Amino acid sequence: MLFLQLIADGLVNGCAIGVVAITFTYVYTTTGVFHVAHAGVFTLGGYLAWYLSKEGIPFVLCVALAMVICAAVGAAIEKGIYEKLLKRQATPLVQLIASLGLLAVLQNLVAILFTPNVLQFESIAWRMKVLHFGPIDLTIPQVLTVFTAFAAVYGLIYFSTKTNLGRRIRAVASNRTLAEITRLKPFEVYVYVMAISSALVVLPSVFIGLDQAMQPYSSVLVLLTAVIAVISGGLGSIRGAFSASLVMGIVQNAVLIVVPGRWSIALTFTLFIVFILFRPTGLFATKIRRAS
Amino acid sequence: MNFFLSYIILAEIFAIVALSTNFLVGVIGIFSVSQAAIMGVGAYAYAIAVMAGIPFPLALLLAITLCALLNVATSLPSLRLEGDYFVVTSFGLQIVATAVFMNWSAVTGGTSGIAGIPAPRFSGLSFDEPENFVFLSTFALGLASAGYWLLMRSSYGRTLHAIRLDELAAVAAGRHVLQMKLGISAVSGAYAGLGGALYAIFMSFIDPSSFEIHVSVLILTMLVVGGARTLAGSILGPFIILAVPQMLTLLALPPHLIGPLRSLAFGVILVSFMLWLPKGLAGRKI
Repeated sequence: MLFLQLIADGLVNGCAIGVVAITFTYVYTTTGVFHVAHAGVFTLGGYLAWYLSKEGIPFVLCVALAMVICAAVGAAIEKGIYEKLLKRQATPLVQLIASLGLLAVLQNLVAILFTPNVLQFESIAWRMKVLHFGPIDLTIPQVLTVFTAFAAVYGLIYFSTKTNLGRRIRAVASNRTLAEITRLKPFEVYVYVMAISSALVVLPSVFIGLDQAMQPYSSVLVLLTAVIAVISGGLGSIRGAFSASLVMGIVQNAVLIVVPGRWSIALTFTLFIVFILFRPTGLFATKIRRAS
Repeated sequence: MNFFLSYIILAEIFAIVALSTNFLVGVIGIFSVSQAAIMGVGAYAYAIAVMAGIPFPLALLLAITLCALLNVATSLPSLRLEGDYFVVTSFGLQIVATAVFMNWSAVTGGTSGIAGIPAPRFSGLSFDEPENFVFLSTFALGLASAGYWLLMRSSYGRTLHAIRLDELAAVAAGRHVLQMKLGISAVSGAYAGLGGALYAIFMSFIDPSSFEIHVSVLILTMLVVGGARTLAGSILGPFIILAVPQMLTLLALPPHLIGPLRSLAFGVILVSFMLWLPKGLAGRKI
């Protein structure tokens, strides 16, 4: 039964990682920026929701507000930094270093404004409540993680295939120059993409925070796991990235049976580095194009 | 006086590590955020070897060789790929290294680290004191700088620049691109190893927090501020960046905010330089 429980917990983790993965790949395939600062937005979202809930604002409103603020932050990052760099034809390396700097700014702003210590959502009473599904126990935040993750994935797929803006985003992603000529205004599209991704990434942040705890610097690990999932799942595919995240979540939890928890991170990355050495094109042999 | 000497020594040690990063980021254009991890491996390898009774030159050689090999092994994926995978492997390496430093307690001493690392003695002269150690670190930096300068002016260095600018053309001109990149990775690793070993000697105490991802970002910031691809940049950067915490201590800040504020300052510096001065103070275009 322990095994089933571990698999279930892994699936929940996988859902949380999955939302980070799809939003990361959405930004990466459209704008071409390796947006490591996404981890910073993730952290910010969780802490904003925590702060608002502490002030006595209803939980749903807290999450919504945090999403709106993060969307604005994402749009501002695109407008104020990435767009300037892109227009100046900065190399991918320069963009990446700027993103890394932004990550440091966001994480440490959170640490300074709120707290650098581990914290929990004390004001939410139902966060510890457990639901029983046969032999498996899940807390309410875990159940919500799964629901919101699937909603985010299918919502994003629906958005990008069925709406005008979604199609415009895909057009820009597939060929920026052509999109520019046909007046699809790529730079405007990038701002939308960053806003959408930054808002969605708040969801897993809040629910992981609710279920476990938050710490300003732990999000890098979440992002890295997500990026590994993106690469293994085939770049550019929302479904692929999400499925790979689920697999990664389950594997990471299943290995806990044989490996002590403190080694699981090292094990995951070592496996990935070895995997990449021998299968540099990823599982589904999609070639990564360099951001240009 | 000791305070000032420590600053000089640390800046010199970090200048060696910045040169190591420069080989990767500046010369062949590979992003690296794991230089602190390699430096850490050098520091731990030196400390463990010396504590086991291996003499100073051999321990130093061991640290340098190990780091060179490790850097080659971990940069292999990035050399074979034309993609952004290396960002992940670099971050991954940093995280794996920190996890190993923390959890392999039997060898690394876990979170409490290794204390009492002995300084070498030459003919009765001990390098315990900063007054003596500064000669060792200056000598090491001089050697490293000379190595960098000569390498960049050799035909090997010129070919490396050619590879960064146009890899296809370099291949077409019959250069062994992969071998050359592996070679420079080894050199870069060796520099980080040397920096790490010197750090272990000078501090006489090492723990996982000295080689965390924040330190890697710090090293990258030094390179960016000083400027990539020049010797002057790699030396200037550490001296400027290590002065920032000193300036922050001048402001009366609550102690628990000093760490985050320092990291925040480095983040702001990174973004600002990328936006307005990507060349750094004394570097070239990256």
